[in-house]
Amino acid sequence: MKENKHLLLFSSLGVLLLLLGAAFEEMVLKDWRRIQGRARSDEGAVTVQLRQIVNASLGVSDRCVSCHVSMGPGEQGVRGDKILVAHKPVVHDPAEYGCTVCHGGQGQATDKEDAHGKVHFWPSPMLGRETSYAGCGRCHATLRVPEQEQMRNAELAFERLDCLTCHRVEGRGGTIRPGGGGMEGPELSRAGLKGYDGAWYGKHEKKSAEAAAGPWKGAFSRVPADDQGLLKIYLDTRVAASRLVTAKSVFFSYGCLGCHKVSGVGGDDGPDLSRAGEKDPGQVSFKYVPGEATMENWMAAHFRSPVSVVAGSQMPPENISTQQLNQLTLFTLSLRRDELRDQYLPKDRARAVKFGEREFATDGATLFGAFCAGCHGQDGQGRRLPGLMSFPSITNADFLALAPDEFLARTVREGRPGRKMPGWLKEGGLRQEEIQAVVAHVRTLGGPAEASTKPARWVSGDAAQGRRIFESACSGCHGKQAKGGEGPALNNKVLLESATDSYLVETVSRGRRGTAMASFLEPSPVRGALSRAEIEAVVAYLRSLQGGKS
Amino acid sequence: MTLQSKAPRSRLDPEPMARRDWLGLSSLWTMGAALMFGVVGMLRLPKAAVLASPSKKFKVALPETLPAGEAFVPPGRAVAVYRDAEGIFAVSTICTHLGCVVKANAEGFECPCHGSRFHADGTVSRGPAPRALPWLKVQVSGGVVMVDEGTTVPSGTKVA
Amino acid sequence: MNPASTQNNALREFVDNLKSAPRRMYETAFRGGAPTTDRSRSTFVFGNVFLHLHAVRTHRWSLKWTTTVGLGIMSLSAFLITLVTGVLLMFYYKPSPEAAYASIKDIHFVVPTGRLIRNLHRWAANLMVVAVILHMARAFYTGAYRPPREYNWLIGIGLLVTTLGLSFTGYLLPWDQLAYWAITIGANIAQSPREVTDALGITEYFDPGGLQRLLLLGSDTVGAEALIRFYLLHVMILPLALAALMGVHFWRIRKDGGMVRPADADERLSKMKQGETYPVFTEAPNKTYQLAAVVRGKTAVVGRGPENTVPSMPHLFYAELGVMMLTLLACVALSMVSDAPLKELANPSVPENPAKAPWYFLGLQEMVSFSAFMGGIGIPAIVLAGLALIPYLDREKEGTGEWFGGPGGWRLVKLSMLIGFGAPLAIESFAIRFGWLREWFPKIPQLIVTAINPATILTAVYALYSIWCIRRYGSARSGALGLFTCFLCGFLLLTIIGTYFRGPNWVFYWSPSEWPKH
Repeated sequence: MKENKHLLLFSSLGVLLLLLGAAFEEMVLKDWRRIQGRARSDEGAVTVQLRQIVNASLGVSDRCVSCHVSMGPGEQGVRGDKILVAHKPVVHDPAEYGCTVCHGGQGQATDKEDAHGKVHFWPSPMLGRETSYAGCGRCHATLRVPEQEQMRNAELAFERLDCLTCHRVEGRGGTIRPGGGGMEGPELSRAGLKGYDGAWYGKHEKKSAEAAAGPWKGAFSRVPADDQGLLKIYLDTRVAASRLVTAKSVFFSYGCLGCHKVSGVGGDDGPDLSRAGEKDPGQVSFKYVPGEATMENWMAAHFRSPVSVVAGSQMPPENISTQQLNQLTLFTLSLRRDELRDQYLPKDRARAVKFGEREFATDGATLFGAFCAGCHGQDGQGRRLPGLMSFPSITNADFLALAPDEFLARTVREGRPGRKMPGWLKEGGLRQEEIQAVVAHVRTLGGPAEASTKPARWVSGDAAQGRRIFESACSGCHGKQAKGGEGPALNNKVLLESATDSYLVETVSRGRRGTAMASFLEPSPVRGALSRAEIEAVVAYLRSLQGGKS
Repeated sequence: MTLQSKAPRSRLDPEPMARRDWLGLSSLWTMGAALMFGVVGMLRLPKAAVLASPSKKFKVALPETLPAGEAFVPPGRAVAVYRDAEGIFAVSTICTHLGCVVKANAEGFECPCHGSRFHADGTVSRGPAPRALPWLKVQVSGGVVMVDEGTTVPSGTKVA
Repeated sequence: MNPASTQNNALREFVDNLKSAPRRMYETAFRGGAPTTDRSRSTFVFGNVFLHLHAVRTHRWSLKWTTTVGLGIMSLSAFLITLVTGVLLMFYYKPSPEAAYASIKDIHFVVPTGRLIRNLHRWAANLMVVAVILHMARAFYTGAYRPPREYNWLIGIGLLVTTLGLSFTGYLLPWDQLAYWAITIGANIAQSPREVTDALGITEYFDPGGLQRLLLLGSDTVGAEALIRFYLLHVMILPLALAALMGVHFWRIRKDGGMVRPADADERLSKMKQGETYPVFTEAPNKTYQLAAVVRGKTAVVGRGPENTVPSMPHLFYAELGVMMLTLLACVALSMVSDAPLKELANPSVPENPAKAPWYFLGLQEMVSFSAFMGGIGIPAIVLAGLALIPYLDREKEGTGEWFGGPGGWRLVKLSMLIGFGAPLAIESFAIRFGWLREWFPKIPQLIVTAINPATILTAVYALYSIWCIRRYGSARSGALGLFTCFLCGFLLLTIIGTYFRGPNWVFYWSPSEWPKH
């Protein structure tokens, strides 16, 4: 019985000690207790307690303010620890919106590691300092962002035209008055959100003309029409998050949407990126990612060399600067979505979702950059990517000279079945006028079409003869029955339907410079020349194929 | 409890206990202490450290044109906010009797539950309510109006 | 009498009563007074509702720690801890898919003592499963299922099943990935009789699998309905069932004469060192304690008291309280070292990979990876039926109360352990290395795979081995010993394989560090 008494004594003693330890840990050792214990407000010490921001509409109960006390509602004056700085003034008051809505992390947690989400099993860790603007993407959709060159030009134009003399944008400029701090014109950081007077230029000119001296005379000068266009781009994209907008413009310059969908627009070859920013770091491999296991590093490593991070990826590595790499990372991380109650649905998202406004600018250059540049190259000269069939040049002057606009537009609309090119109208989600804009842009890159008076179909050759000629002269590259080989497949329904006879005949006759397609009117060392009649026979044969049904 | 006994004992004899069973008693008391401490810990549990309700301090989007004497009730809050020539003030609309939400009318407030009536300044005019409706702390900084439901101020405190 | 004085007397009496009320209250609560004599100790035990399940005197054999290893009390203590902590958790837990996960996070982060209480609940639940299984093994190896204890053995099996059920239903409640996918798998195991009915083509008319799944989930997917059902099972139905079964279990222990002990326990005790002896009774014709003996029709011992017994109060109670506090200590210590797991919020579109059940079901999951029906329902049913039949097949008396039934038993157990570990190791190695029927004959009918797979072969090997034991040693006890040991070893080995050697897509890996990332 003595043993049993000892057992009881020592077990009880153990339990008692452990419980005392647990109580000490909970009542004394918690970080937030220490921090609040040292904090002072104007009225003296603050009450040490768990603090939180609750917003049921946003699904937020953020205890971040248990440590970051001065970010809580009405606690701006609390000082003490280094982490007790008040939030810099922002439109979205953290006291109302909470913290995790923008920054990510685990709001319910009260330990640092857990709260910052740097723990296993928390899918959305806090965004880093460099990528903090990615949080905007949860609710906002920046609209009409152009590709990077226009964006850069617009930013340069704003600086070049000295607009910053009077206007403040995101903390810069507007310090015209002696002594600094003053601002003559309105702040433009959020012009794209709040809207601005479309007739501003006329009013500026008028004021400048009326003024006798001072900034209106000295700082304002005439703005050429081109620059006015750039300034419009600049103003439209001011949403108090210029880093994110610039990043977005980079995204729209490397043809990412050619293979990836974002919000229903884009190609099908790669994964849908609409929520790529919500990727759970617990679900991806960091084996080949240098540095800390964060999504930022993962994305950057992935953009640098996709296939070495994601096995089997067909995504080509782009030759871009580190800055652009980081911008792509920032933008990809911003691809998030929250179901929002109407009360919190921002105007830009509403315009995108309810009225179909585009997140990309709908000029030809931006559309080309966003959708075409990935496969056809920045200049449209085509690309050869390892492991994939080569992508044709679409800005070849010989090609464009023979291809009428309708042929180009139809090709973009309906794609090339069997090739990577999707039909951009239905599958890709582009609109008629956007496709027209792309075609117009391709023209600016490669030249106009020759005028032709011939009807679409005029060839009447002997298909049987054409077949013999094709098999001896063409199938070496274009494959048996024109199903494709080294050269593209001609036996393609959409190609045959949309290509005019003149296009086919002239392409064979003249060849296409810069490609393996030579002029068949001229003899070559390996074969004799073809006559026009023979070429027409070949075209007649192609017509008889009807796109794969032969 | 060791006992070497020479003669067989009757079952009716008491089993002699050691006079002071220190070991047994201390083990029992330690167990009692451990369990009591555990119980105290468990009793703390039902008292929540944070409440699921929204913060008591909140911003009020006061309309630019609010006629003096007319109450503005922020959606979802039991507070009436007023603005007159002397400034902004807020009156709780939770009846001091049993917590129903009172309704603003021409004379002041009336409670739908047990018939309490209040003047516009919150003082009781009739009915079972024991106290006047409290005035709540209002802060105005940079045009932003904040009301703190958790802090009462003397009636008549208006913030310009 | 003077009415005034009567009034005065009555009033005085009233005041006196009022004064003595506290003392009387104490006396009515503790009627026997301080338990210093044998008589008052007996009164204390049978006068107390919580203690009266104990006999007032306990045989010294029962108090040897090798008799029970305290496993029964340990199971009970673990249950009491889960009961108390579980009720406390119900203050904050919200059984709805939208709120469940967040409420667990709240319990973890902001509820005072919440983290410790949740950890305690989890560790006590795990400890309970371990203790119950070991308790069953103890009961088996000491022959405690033999007459008159056969029925209590059955109750014990019911308690085992209920314990596992309680543990498993608690698994869903946090509504994290772990929970969601474990329950999805569990529900589909419930549906797995379809494997047979489909093969026979009668699912349309007779679909017990579909019905089971529907009853469990209340819907065709794991959602709010399933959560409520599991919650109800976890906090109401199963605990009540467990409490009822426990009541019967304890009552039967008392009725069946306490702990099992060898026939010659008294002699052996007297040979052992005389540490704490207590004189044997000499005069006790009118015994009140061993009522069970009278009830069971044995000759009541007349003229002498039961030898080698000591008063339960305090001898037995010190032992019981000691084990209880030890269990509590273990739970608190584990709770402070390791937090109960909580993975990311349940996501019905991304299965957890690997989606692992609680550890005690990983042996089943290993078998399920060959055939859902056999692994999940067929073989567990066979095992349970086998366990239930043990007392009715082995009716020998020899060796009762001895570990492994005496000296020869331990050798047989060692041999059985060899078979018990060796057979599944061999079959698993073969299946992992060479695949199974489906890999060789892709078109093979499912019924054949259901009938012939590593799990069924393993069961058959065990069964054949135990028949060999019966023939070789000429006793049913040997067969039971062999079979039980085999099943215990098989359970252990498969659990280890399922826990440590199975990775994503249930592929074999030597260690979790080799798991591929997605």
